[in-house]
Amino acid sequence: MIEDITLIVDSSVRIAATLLFAALGELVAERAGTLNISVEGAMLSGAFAAAYGSHATGSAYYGFGIGVAVGIGVSAIQANLSHRIRVNQFVTGLVLNLLAIGVTSFLLAEVKMAPVQFGLVRIPGLASIPIVGDALFEQRAPFFLLYAFVPLVWWVLKRSRWGLELDAVGENPAAADANGIPVDLRRRQAIYFGGLLAGVSGAYLSVGLIGAFTPNMTALRGFIAIAAVIFGGWTLWGTVGGTLLFGGAEALRVSLPALGVTITPQVLIALPYLAAIAAIALLSQRRRQPAALGQTFRRGIT
Amino acid sequence: MSGGPASTTAARREVVLGLRSVSKRFGRVVACDDVSLDIGAGEIRGLLGQNGAGKSTLMKIVAGFVRPESGELTIHGKTLGFGDPVVAAERGIAMVHQHFSLVGPMPVWKNVTLSDRGHTRVDRSGVSRQITEVGRRYGLDVDPDAIVDDLSVGERQRVELLKCLRRQPDVLILDEPTSVLTREESTALFRVLRRLARERGQSVVLISHELDEMLEVTDRVTVLRDGRVVSTVESAEASADSLAHEMLGQDFAVSAEVLGLSVEGSHASRARTHAPPRRRAAPAGHDVPVLELADIKVTSAEGHALLDGVNLEIAAGEILGVAGVAGNGQEELTGLLSNLIGPDSGEVRVEGRPIRTGRGRQLGRAGVGVIPADRHDSGCVLEMTVAENLALGSLDGMVRWGVVRQQQLHELGRRLVADFRIITSSLGAPLRSLSGGNQQRVVLARELARKPCVLVAAEPTQGLDIGARGYIWDRLREAAATGTGILLISSDLAEIMALSHRVAVINRGRIIGTMPRADVDTAELGRMMGARTHDRG
Repeated sequence: MIEDITLIVDSSVRIAATLLFAALGELVAERAGTLNISVEGAMLSGAFAAAYGSHATGSAYYGFGIGVAVGIGVSAIQANLSHRIRVNQFVTGLVLNLLAIGVTSFLLAEVKMAPVQFGLVRIPGLASIPIVGDALFEQRAPFFLLYAFVPLVWWVLKRSRWGLELDAVGENPAAADANGIPVDLRRRQAIYFGGLLAGVSGAYLSVGLIGAFTPNMTALRGFIAIAAVIFGGWTLWGTVGGTLLFGGAEALRVSLPALGVTITPQVLIALPYLAAIAAIALLSQRRRQPAALGQTFRRGIT
Repeated sequence: MSGGPASTTAARREVVLGLRSVSKRFGRVVACDDVSLDIGAGEIRGLLGQNGAGKSTLMKIVAGFVRPESGELTIHGKTLGFGDPVVAAERGIAMVHQHFSLVGPMPVWKNVTLSDRGHTRVDRSGVSRQITEVGRRYGLDVDPDAIVDDLSVGERQRVELLKCLRRQPDVLILDEPTSVLTREESTALFRVLRRLARERGQSVVLISHELDEMLEVTDRVTVLRDGRVVSTVESAEASADSLAHEMLGQDFAVSAEVLGLSVEGSHASRARTHAPPRRRAAPAGHDVPVLELADIKVTSAEGHALLDGVNLEIAAGEILGVAGVAGNGQEELTGLLSNLIGPDSGEVRVEGRPIRTGRGRQLGRAGVGVIPADRHDSGCVLEMTVAENLALGSLDGMVRWGVVRQQQLHELGRRLVADFRIITSSLGAPLRSLSGGNQQRVVLARELARKPCVLVAAEPTQGLDIGARGYIWDRLREAAATGTGILLISSDLAEIMALSHRVAVINRGRIIGTMPRADVDTAELGRMMGARTHDRG
């Protein structure tokens, strides 16, 4: 029994980690008022680039770095299209997502890749804690970046001037502008940060968790990350909780049949999403989104 | 300029801010036409003019928010480029905006530090300490941790002022600062401004269309009309009469009464010189009040009482003025009667029938019309057309099979535009394109078109110029004369005194006194309104 629980916790955390990297970046972007739905495309591109980069260089670490760079590259397209020349941000995001699926599938058919994977890292002592020890302290190397990124995002949002300006830009861009804050620049920067973390998420998925790239392997996890941000009411700890919830639901889906529990598979697949809708409906009473989320800013005629 | 003692001291002042031949047009409208100005160190300069005279545009040019077509701007004798608010702020020009530049969901301290640059870390305790310190120095009391959305308009303005003063600007520009303030708050603001100018040698530019306050606080007044400088006079040598003449030009005769009220010095003299408005005798058998509030209580989410047992009665044809310092329950009173909030206890009766409030349209159906205080927020839809806005209150009657009948919509629109003399390019023009006074006419026309038995008018003339104000007053009186009971909620005592048959004073969510207009003693009224500040010590 204890073993079963340990197993489910371990797999929940692994799935949640993929979501959390992307969700942290998405949280920062949305706080600045931009709904960065190309996070999915950035993840998928990052996953492919990391896998191919690892194969080409023979090092998972170099490959990981290449994946992150490609994630930033995809976000740079999104940022400059939607917050420089002001193309509709949803259209831009959708196109980038479709483009990423097409391009990575095409390239996968063109190249041969030998699988490369990060090894397991075990933190002595801590990893021996019952139930959660394995999950939190024995994982593939990139997992441990979470211990840096979660506090970093907390600091950015709570303590840094950049974070304060992002909040102002997301809540009231006209007031931010009147205070001399460059609205579009801050939004682009927030998207770059989101792209960096989407790249980390994708690279962790391909060369960390799985050890190979498969077509459309992110399977809309980018959108689940967006849902986690909404679920978390645009707060850091809420977002962390959201990814754990969705990660846990996914882990249950995978492991329940293996543990001998029989439920109709369709219900199992729907379970995480039903839970998400119920939770968001309940929580949305208390938390509100950044007031200018998804709105393009144009300086008014004063 | 005459060589009086005042002007010689003014002439000796070093020129801090200079404008040379500044012109700006918006489309075909000329906002500023070859304007030149010199503002001296330690001077309080008034910019006086009607709505649309170009005052605000001129100062937005100075602060870098608007770029003019031609002209030159100098500060301390050095040329300053146009169109960059950040540079203007660095060179010592600070502007308190008519529409505030605050981020509502954020606390005060975050808002204050928003315009800072440089440091990567936000220094919360340092900023909070500075807010308290600067606040104490100038008498601007604000809690650094309060959320801006929870503050009254007067308090928000204090935050804006603090934001500016903290940087010790050479020139402080205030755009219509008193339009949202009570008499007491205005007096306190003027005290701060005088201290700035006298003790610290900072220059202040005050934009306003209020003659009284111009004479009260400024050293010199520049009068603008149709984008041109008409004259600049020493305040000590000017009279309200002469300023009004220059400000209005040919429009001087518009509304003798409105002007008279503005020209008289104190509120006390207003009370004496103006006979109370005649009250139409209520027809026999109409002794049931059109609106009754019985022991209404509204409590905030934090648990303190916003309306604390309010009792009010309005008879048909009566105007009841509710006077009070902003933030004492006026917003809640309007909200209650607009169905935006429901009372925790108590009853609202319209023509004797109890009405369920807080949801649905029962109040509107029962015949309660509302002119909300913030017309942009809840009074109208700026993106919709004039005709659509006018019809918003009467849609029930012009919808068939769920479709709005355009012909009826336009008929109503044409009639109201003509009746209320609304100036618009067409019925299909977006409401945004109208001036403030005309937008307010649209709201007023819409509410009166429904022939309400009760009309709630919250700050109906806030921010409007003398002409528009007189017009709105006339229409409110007319409505009362035809039997509508009017609840006038206003922080402008002159307005309360000019319109009301009875005056009620609201303080901390309670009605602490009601008296017929004829018995009003303004000193006593002021004391009742201000009781809260005395309590605070």
